[in-house]
Amino acid sequence: MVDTLIIGGGIVGTCIARELSRYEGTVLIVEKENDVANHQTIANSAIIHSGHDPIPKTLKARLCVEGNAMYELMEQQLHIPILRTGAYVVATTSEEEEILKVLLERSIENGVLGATLLDAKQARVLEPNLSLQTQKVLSLPSTKVTFPWEVAIRAMQNAIRNGAEFRKNTQVSSIRKIDNGFEVATTNGEIILAKHVVNAAGVYSGVVAGMIEKNVPYTITPRRGEYFVLDRRVKGFVQHVLYPVPTKAGKGVLVVPQTHGNILLGPTSTHQEEPERVGTTREGLDYIRKQAVKLAENIPFDQIIRSFSGIRATSTAEDFYIKESNEVKGFFHAGGIDSPGLTAAPAIAKCMVEEVMGGSISLRKKTYFDPIEPEKKAFHDLPDDEKKALLRRDPRYGNIVCKCEKITEAEVIEAIHGPLGSDTIKGIKKRARVGSGICQGGYCEETLLKIIARETKKRLDEINYYALNTPILIEETKVKR
Amino acid sequence: MKTDICVIGGGAGGLAAALSSNDDGVSVLLVEREGHLGGILNQCIHNGFGLEVFKEELTGPEYAERFIKEFEAKKIPHLLNTTVIDIRKTKDFLIDVSNEANGLFTIEAKAVILATGCYERTRGGISIPGDRPRGVMPAGSAQRYLNIDGHLVGKNIFILGSGDIGLIMARRMTLEGAHVHGVAEIMPYSNGLTRNIVQCLHDFDIPLYLSHTVTDIKGKDILESVTIQEVDSEFHPIGGTEKTFEVDALLLSVGLLPDVHMFESIPFEKSQETKSAVVNQFCETSIEGLFVCGNALHVHDLVDWVTKESQKAGHFAKQFVKNPVRGKSNLKPVETGGFVRVVVPQKIDFGQMENPFELSFRVSKKMEEGILRIEQNGKTVREKRYKHLAPAEMESIRIDPSFLSGDHPIRLIVEEVVK
Repeated sequence: MVDTLIIGGGIVGTCIARELSRYEGTVLIVEKENDVANHQTIANSAIIHSGHDPIPKTLKARLCVEGNAMYELMEQQLHIPILRTGAYVVATTSEEEEILKVLLERSIENGVLGATLLDAKQARVLEPNLSLQTQKVLSLPSTKVTFPWEVAIRAMQNAIRNGAEFRKNTQVSSIRKIDNGFEVATTNGEIILAKHVVNAAGVYSGVVAGMIEKNVPYTITPRRGEYFVLDRRVKGFVQHVLYPVPTKAGKGVLVVPQTHGNILLGPTSTHQEEPERVGTTREGLDYIRKQAVKLAENIPFDQIIRSFSGIRATSTAEDFYIKESNEVKGFFHAGGIDSPGLTAAPAIAKCMVEEVMGGSISLRKKTYFDPIEPEKKAFHDLPDDEKKALLRRDPRYGNIVCKCEKITEAEVIEAIHGPLGSDTIKGIKKRARVGSGICQGGYCEETLLKIIARETKKRLDEINYYALNTPILIEETKVKR
Repeated sequence: MKTDICVIGGGAGGLAAALSSNDDGVSVLLVEREGHLGGILNQCIHNGFGLEVFKEELTGPEYAERFIKEFEAKKIPHLLNTTVIDIRKTKDFLIDVSNEANGLFTIEAKAVILATGCYERTRGGISIPGDRPRGVMPAGSAQRYLNIDGHLVGKNIFILGSGDIGLIMARRMTLEGAHVHGVAEIMPYSNGLTRNIVQCLHDFDIPLYLSHTVTDIKGKDILESVTIQEVDSEFHPIGGTEKTFEVDALLLSVGLLPDVHMFESIPFEKSQETKSAVVNQFCETSIEGLFVCGNALHVHDLVDWVTKESQKAGHFAKQFVKNPVRGKSNLKPVETGGFVRVVVPQKIDFGQMENPFELSFRVSKKMEEGILRIEQNGKTVREKRYKHLAPAEMESIRIDPSFLSGDHPIRLIVEEVVK
């Protein structure tokens, strides 16, 4: 029997796993997909929001501001990429200027540091491509950008380093209360026994809660957000995260510089019945083009290399729901975590473990916890002497696999065999950024496929694109069958 | 490592450029990313190559083999499995390269020829909406998986784009036992060679949907279906024209883009039209001594033209190395008008003018008959009639400089002759 079973390997589940691994007791995290960070965590704006937007006194407001500050320590300990962009909320009409004043007051009430109003001329000094319609901006210097799935991957690696166990392709099908805990069945036919269960199942948090509760206190009504990705050569086009003035529909379409130089445009926000259908739509992509130009001049739309969409676990509770079950002791909810979930994730984890779980069960800190994940920089970002030293150790750093992003064979092999390794095309893309450039894998996917096959001793047609049973190659020709 | 000329890329362009520059005591070093010479020709196992250069019909590997043999016989130095990371210019060029055998090192060269070919435009580049399952890929990738690795990427195929690779793959997939449900082309005409339309689609009863594009892709993990729609004259999908095909692979043949964007420290002037370098009549970029040729400069319809252009680039690079002190340059732009969509070279250097030069161009409209005029200072200096002009077909015209003056830009205009 494990002490704590966490359901869901997104940013919330992995951060909770890391937080729990500071304490005595076994931690098992199960994920229904073939990797961590597969739904909301891989498809969002990547922003560590300052906390200017959530309604004061909500958990969202508190945990957003706390989470934003905690990323500073996460950067030092987990060595995740952080880009300190700051943000501008851009008002283009006098009505919007009035809303900026409300947002400024809200920022101050939420404890956001450094929030201030700038006129268009001041704002344009640092942001020359700012829309010519700009009248005023709310400047939010604490807004940052990270690389979301790397945060989840490194939080999970660190949890594993401290004793947690991760199991992928493991989908929970039912939960039953037993005397001293829970009996959790999976679609693989396994039974997992756990003293406590943490529900971090994202868009499925309502479904998972419904397996054990009669009256789930929230319902997930997923919302889909679509995005464009611009090639990294647009780096510097904007320095800040640019937000429009928010409306009832949400934060609106943003312009967001990314940690590797790319820029994201998006998201849209539309209701979505099926939580797994994350297709983009013509209407959605057209909408982004129309909205983004309100924030910046001369957006280089010809540098679009990809579009994607993500799903958000928006809930009827209208706030994060981080509590022990009202009905079943030992079952803990991290439900309805939509925006600012990425920002809040480390604070959600701390709140869950120290306040919610700690208030209900006895938790004892381990005598030794290693908070550090060693730094891992992309080979071609290293100084020459470090490159030379690595090349002496492993000449495969000399073999470029992805020429657009200059990713080497040795880095691919690390991503395959690392502590939270992967054997899929997209899993390696997530870890080593192979195929993230202008050719989108057109050149390197075949090379990558062959390296994965060699390293995992599999046939070429056994290598999956991402999920199980998604091989790139389906049938060998010129062979006898 | 030092050389006079460094050729980057060992495909059709690089081989021709290296062979034509490697003479008379000029040293050449060719750098190739893959483990073999020949480039993309190696996966083009269909025939139709070499009609202009060899007056016979060869397969891609056969065409490459002829140049590789000559290249090897001349013992031209080359590095395989070696990727160029960046190019810097001081007095000479410094080419940073990387391979497994030697790690990171720098090649010094007096001239550089970029013969890096092109890459395929992707789904992301044209923003096809829908799910993102396995099974959507560039046609050239599917070609490589099939012809080099011996695997099919699907058994039920749809193809978007009637570029030549898409057409060739329609036939190849059919011959290997897959069912090709159709080819959609957003333009009202095909973008491939006529012979490929006939031999790859008509001969196999594969439908071609002109003025259609893919407007939806369905499938959670694995591709399940694609939906196409007819488009109006502004390329907007027309409601009610949806057709859905249950397929497990969608191959994209939606354009090729010159692959010259990896070298970030060498800021040569670029063209919005070709997405490559702006060059003069010597295939030389705005940076003296840096040449671009073949599909890295602009996408050619036939490999034979890649060969010819690259031979010229090699010749001019050799001239540059032998006579680095040149006359004062006098660059005049080649402007376009009428239905001319793109022209290469974009500049003519009258300061170095000796011999006739060629202008290659594409039109923006299909025409039964067209007239080409070359103007300078408002006066027509040359006229040529064409029986048939199409955007899919590159045309070129040889210009005698004695008709021109170095004082004005050149203007290339194509107008339709309506009867």
